[in-house]
Amino acid sequence: MARQKTAESSPVESVVSGGVDLVEWYYEKGFSDGFPVVPPTPEKVAATVEALGGDADYVEARVPPRWGSLTREVLAINMVMAGCKPDYAPVVRAAMLALCSPAFNLHGVQATTHMASPLLVVNGPIRKKLEMNAGHNVFGSGNRANATIGRAIRMILLNVGGGWPGDLDKSTLGSPAKYTYCIAENEELGHLAPYHVEKGFTEDDSTVFVMPAEPPHSVTNHVADDPEGILDSIVSAMSTIAHNNAVSAGHCAVVIGPEHAAVMAKYQWTRHDIKNYLWYQATNTFGDVAFQHRYGKVYNRSLPKWYKRDVDARIPVVPSAEHIHLFCAGGEAGRFSAFIPGWGHMASPVLRELNGNAPAGGGMVCEDGTCYL
Amino acid sequence: MPLDAPKTGHVVYDPRGIVETTAIPLGKRVADLNGLRLGILSNKKWNGNNLLRKTRAILEDEIDFADVKFYEKESFSKNADPGLLGEIIADNDIVLTAIGD
Repeated sequence: MARQKTAESSPVESVVSGGVDLVEWYYEKGFSDGFPVVPPTPEKVAATVEALGGDADYVEARVPPRWGSLTREVLAINMVMAGCKPDYAPVVRAAMLALCSPAFNLHGVQATTHMASPLLVVNGPIRKKLEMNAGHNVFGSGNRANATIGRAIRMILLNVGGGWPGDLDKSTLGSPAKYTYCIAENEELGHLAPYHVEKGFTEDDSTVFVMPAEPPHSVTNHVADDPEGILDSIVSAMSTIAHNNAVSAGHCAVVIGPEHAAVMAKYQWTRHDIKNYLWYQATNTFGDVAFQHRYGKVYNRSLPKWYKRDVDARIPVVPSAEHIHLFCAGGEAGRFSAFIPGWGHMASPVLRELNGNAPAGGGMVCEDGTCYL
Repeated sequence: MPLDAPKTGHVVYDPRGIVETTAIPLGKRVADLNGLRLGILSNKKWNGNNLLRKTRAILEDEIDFADVKFYEKESFSKNADPGLLGEIIADNDIVLTAIGD
């Protein structure tokens, strides 16, 4: 029997009566993330298409699991609906290309019963140009670029990717990060080399990092005045069997707040030192991960083969220090950091320079401008 | 979803993008399982494995398969490797798989 190719389509653009309440119209059509959307106008869509490089019909990606075609016009429509300025186009485009690269496994991230949502971290001069927040309340509300770039990503995952709750998104609980989850690294206050420079880019490059992640888990330590004491609190947050890294390995992120980062700088601890300390100290016993075999003999094929399966064996939370993605962010007041569990071995975080350039310093596998971490 | 609209008023947009699909017809159902080669594909999840093991035991009590082979995906969340799928197609007549979280 022959295969039959068809296209599900409707007019991208249409006209309704001038008396229609457009905010309600988009609600009724099911095109909202739950908040009111900004009704797109031809002028706003055209300006955003222009910022994306023109050619409205150019297909940037196909977004799983619905596999809708993300043309520049559709990308622009969703950006306008989310409240983005046209200037945000390079970041949203780079993020979507990173998310749709095979290594990220967006199909799985969209459909999983886990609460993971893509975390975006922006580095480089574009942060300043877009006036992104890397300081106080960095994961919270109050900044247009952070809020609407993250929201545009979610709108695309819903509208184009079809990740509607209960339909193609099977997340048991979801999380607030499924509305927006976008920050900038605080490169100025961090005292440590920016994340993208560690990965081989220069400070003049602008990049977007994406990783499927749980929301941040606060790490408080107002007492320790040395790196070991602060990092031991982060180790404590990491060393549980409740998150996906414990049972499925993969990648995680750690965000060091500026006061904690200042202590690292005082003792000249580098990113390498911090990541290796966390990797070496953050462990569980295999017995705890295997529930002491109370429910049957457990091997756990989601963990690396080289993890020792003895019940008393200590196993790391992630397979290597390079599976810990370290960022500095937050306001200058407060001795807080954060641990951000990932989704597991099923996805790889990716890093993309806004124009798809590979790092001059090399060191990563990059295909079509997307670098696998 | 068609967007019914008069010719004047507000311009509205469908933000979903076109989906191009390829219809793949289902395989013909077999009339008798006896004498066939059964491939079992596990996604490596704990409950999926349990379901497959118990289903295999029930089937083997009732049916005289010519052969039973067991396969595992690299990751429960990713498509099976094309090479593995080719091997399964070449060496089996029917395939059993399961989703268990």
